[in-house]
Amino acid sequence: MIDEGLALSFAGPRSFTGEDVVELHGHGGPVVMDLLLRAAIDAGARIARPGEFTERAFLNGKIDLAQADAVADLIASRSEAAVRSALRSLSGEFSTRVNEIAREAFDLRVFVEAAIDFAEEDVDFLSDGHVAGRLERLIGLLDVVLRTASQGALLNEGITIVLAGRPNVGKSSLMNRLLGYDRAIVSETPGTTRDVLAESVDIDGVPIRVVDTAGLRSAGDAIEREGIRRARQQIDDAQQVVLVVDDRAIATAADVIAEQDLPTDRLTIVANKIDLSGGITGERVAEGPQQLGVSALTGAGVDSLRQRILSLAGYRDDAGVFSARRRHLEALKSAGDCLRHGAAALREAGAGELLADDLRRAHDHLGDIVGVTTSDALLGEIFSRFCIGK
Amino acid sequence: MQTSDHFDVIVIGGGHAGTEAALAAARIGANTLLLTQNIETIGAMSCNPAIGGIGKSHLVREIDALDGAMARATDRAGIQFRVLNGSKGPAVRATRAQADRVLYKQAVRQIVESTPNLRVFQGSVIDLVVDGDRVRGVVTQSGLTFGADAVVLTTGTFLGGLIHVGLEHHPGGRAGDAPSNALAARLRALPFRVDRLKTGTPPRIDGRTVDFSVMQIQPGDEPMPVMSLIGSAAEHPRQVPCHVTHTNAHTHQIIRAGLDRSPLYTGVIEGIGPRYCPSIEDKIVRFADKASHQVFVEPEGLSTFELYPNGISTSLPFDVQVNLVRSIKGFESAHITRPGYAIEYDFFDPRDLMYSLETKAIEGLFFAGQINGTTGYEEAAAQGLLAGANAALKVAGKPAWCPRRDEAYIGVLVDDLINNGTNEPYRMFTSRAEFRLVLREDNADARLTERGRELGLVGDQRWAAYLAKRERVEAIRAMLRSHVVSPGDSVAIEIEQRCGEPIGKPTDLLTLLRRPKITVDALSAIVGAFPSNDAAAEQIAIDVKYQGYIERARDDIERVRRHEEVRLPDDFDYAAIAGLSTELKQKLAQARPDNLARAARIPGITPAALSILLVHARKARASA
Repeated sequence: MIDEGLALSFAGPRSFTGEDVVELHGHGGPVVMDLLLRAAIDAGARIARPGEFTERAFLNGKIDLAQADAVADLIASRSEAAVRSALRSLSGEFSTRVNEIAREAFDLRVFVEAAIDFAEEDVDFLSDGHVAGRLERLIGLLDVVLRTASQGALLNEGITIVLAGRPNVGKSSLMNRLLGYDRAIVSETPGTTRDVLAESVDIDGVPIRVVDTAGLRSAGDAIEREGIRRARQQIDDAQQVVLVVDDRAIATAADVIAEQDLPTDRLTIVANKIDLSGGITGERVAEGPQQLGVSALTGAGVDSLRQRILSLAGYRDDAGVFSARRRHLEALKSAGDCLRHGAAALREAGAGELLADDLRRAHDHLGDIVGVTTSDALLGEIFSRFCIGK
Repeated sequence: MQTSDHFDVIVIGGGHAGTEAALAAARIGANTLLLTQNIETIGAMSCNPAIGGIGKSHLVREIDALDGAMARATDRAGIQFRVLNGSKGPAVRATRAQADRVLYKQAVRQIVESTPNLRVFQGSVIDLVVDGDRVRGVVTQSGLTFGADAVVLTTGTFLGGLIHVGLEHHPGGRAGDAPSNALAARLRALPFRVDRLKTGTPPRIDGRTVDFSVMQIQPGDEPMPVMSLIGSAAEHPRQVPCHVTHTNAHTHQIIRAGLDRSPLYTGVIEGIGPRYCPSIEDKIVRFADKASHQVFVEPEGLSTFELYPNGISTSLPFDVQVNLVRSIKGFESAHITRPGYAIEYDFFDPRDLMYSLETKAIEGLFFAGQINGTTGYEEAAAQGLLAGANAALKVAGKPAWCPRRDEAYIGVLVDDLINNGTNEPYRMFTSRAEFRLVLREDNADARLTERGRELGLVGDQRWAAYLAKRERVEAIRAMLRSHVVSPGDSVAIEIEQRCGEPIGKPTDLLTLLRRPKITVDALSAIVGAFPSNDAAAEQIAIDVKYQGYIERARDDIERVRRHEEVRLPDDFDYAAIAGLSTELKQKLAQARPDNLARAARIPGITPAALSILLVHARKARASA
């Protein structure tokens, strides 16, 4: 069982879109939602295009003309943002692999189409088994990505947050708050955390790896220096960095960033100990990286930190994100089916043109993720790679 | 100014586009005049003496299906025929013929002179008679004015033609022919977007000075392929082989040394160059690592010793040409009869045309052929046929016609040109056709001949041949469907032995054909109901074996047709539509697609953008 929830059914025309509509309301966070979506697809459903429900509402006359522009806006923004979020929530690993697959599929197409359209120019690759081999390899690549993606591994792995900051600002206390129990050693003495502590934190069902570093400061004993080196490594590798500062010394944040060479493009500043400073809880308007006012001791503002981490990781409680991600995976699956079909056509009938048709369809599916390629662009690539005469 | 007769349609230019245009207009019944600078050059092949090839032969078959001249002339002039891509599948299979230039010209001229409603006149057109935004006639150099209700311009590379050999250049429409500069100037003054393109040709070689023994021989195919549905191998003249040789490092060295006197590399030629390699200079420079390049040595004809070395088009200075040719194996003592050259010429942005190839700016004026930015005889002829037909239809008050992308390569060609324009000489490739599996050489007639008959393009001889073929296909199909083979009977056993396919239960032959291992040749041998190599049986087999793919293609075609029903208004303000990227807004504003399907083919368009257009289209319709 995936989840227990609520199913609401609206018979058209008395629904949002004017058609028969069923709404499934689940309880779980992003991971459960995704499972629900997948189950629906397996049962034969198709993922809606961005803004499609609103589009249908308009086309069925449920929304009036005045709102048409808003609909268009919605379609566009949801599409772009959703695609961006989806790509972010799937790890960089996924993105790299998909691009590799798309690249290889395009390359194969270039070979096959060149062999067909320029048979006289010494570019016949279809007869020598070269293409068949590459095709098998490409199918293999796709299978691996799909398998790991559907196991959720790609969703989960690699999202690491590093807690950075000067000694005794309360990093370990914050870590414990996020974890929900006392894992890190907390004591009054600065520099207590000697090791780099990493724990998997569950935020709304999404596993996030949080790393607590040694309080970085210059010099100190050998153990401290080693701890500092490891911390540096963690900061360089992490997807996000949370700089913890004492709210009473909030102005030092800029200094710490400079001192410790923190990457500002993936940084959140947590102003801790607001129970002592009396500062604003939660999101603050300030120049530079997002600031959050928090008290690890009382728990105030920690929720805003959780939400920020999720959102930066691409997990928002927005169906658009899941749809986009699922669309990517569906696109990969369809591409794989086409490739297998083409490999069979090549094997059984030696039909290069049938393989070319399947490759084109596979490439079109991949186009959903990496952008569409026109036949003209394909020709351009052929010309740049092979010496084709007049 | 003397005034001469009035015609329904006047075609300017007697090349491949012009002849097909004039013939098409005449067949439909328009009183047609073909105006050419030189009657002797009607049907002349300006460079490569060959017709067909991959992508191109598809156009030839379609022209043939509409009763055009190209395929028939090819059958009467072809001196070497080959089928390309034979093993890759029927959709990409292509027929290519080397043609005897003289015989080809003769064949075309004979067809022109025996077509009713068609007159020819020798004169150089220097001006168009334009009344407001309507064309009314043409004016020749000698001061004659011919009136017309429609004019088809097919001047090829003649408009502002400039020939380059090395750093020397001179005006020319083609080697030995004067350019049309007065007309070019006149057209530039009209509201058309004009630019320059360039193309090139290799030096011609005296075959008596060539050593063929060191070259690879390339004979034609046996049995001899035939281009036209109503042609036959018996029409073919004496067949001769081609030869193949290669350039080498020494050749490349000579070329590199001459680049500083190349009009291309010294920036003298203005025309835009293609992405492919039109000259041997391009090949050497862009693919410096390639040790040698193929040269196809093609005979120009049966009654001449001249050869056409396909693969070494060049505009290098003559002394360099001589050296580079003589460095090639077999050409060590070669004598060049005509230098190779590059030619740059005016072309008109095809986005200023309608699907009928009528210009948007001037009513009654049609453009066809190389002046629209295409390269190749076949591409020109296809446009010519379409433009001529539509000119005649317009005069008769009938609606214009253009085949769709899913009906013909002609449709792909026109749609690409009209929607996307071109900035290099546009050549047809099968990869341009998304419905390639449906647009095959073997079914061109099934796709187009009936429509051609309705329009008045298809004559009785072809119609009868087409009907006969159609009946034959039906008869064979019925026979295959009704012949059931049971496990254990003699036919089943033979099929198992020959094809390695076991037959598990009673199945008819048509269904059995679906299996890849069972071929129509095998069935012919076993069942004996039709000869092997039977075109009709072949077509049935293809349809059966490709059924799945063809059905998928049909689904796609359906989707496109649905999109075509969503009309986009002419005055759509794309700049005001939120959610479209700036780039897309510009492309849409420029293309002005009149329906969603055409918008979908604009490069860079996304599904989201289409949804947005759909919403606004409905909104525009609802508030209209």
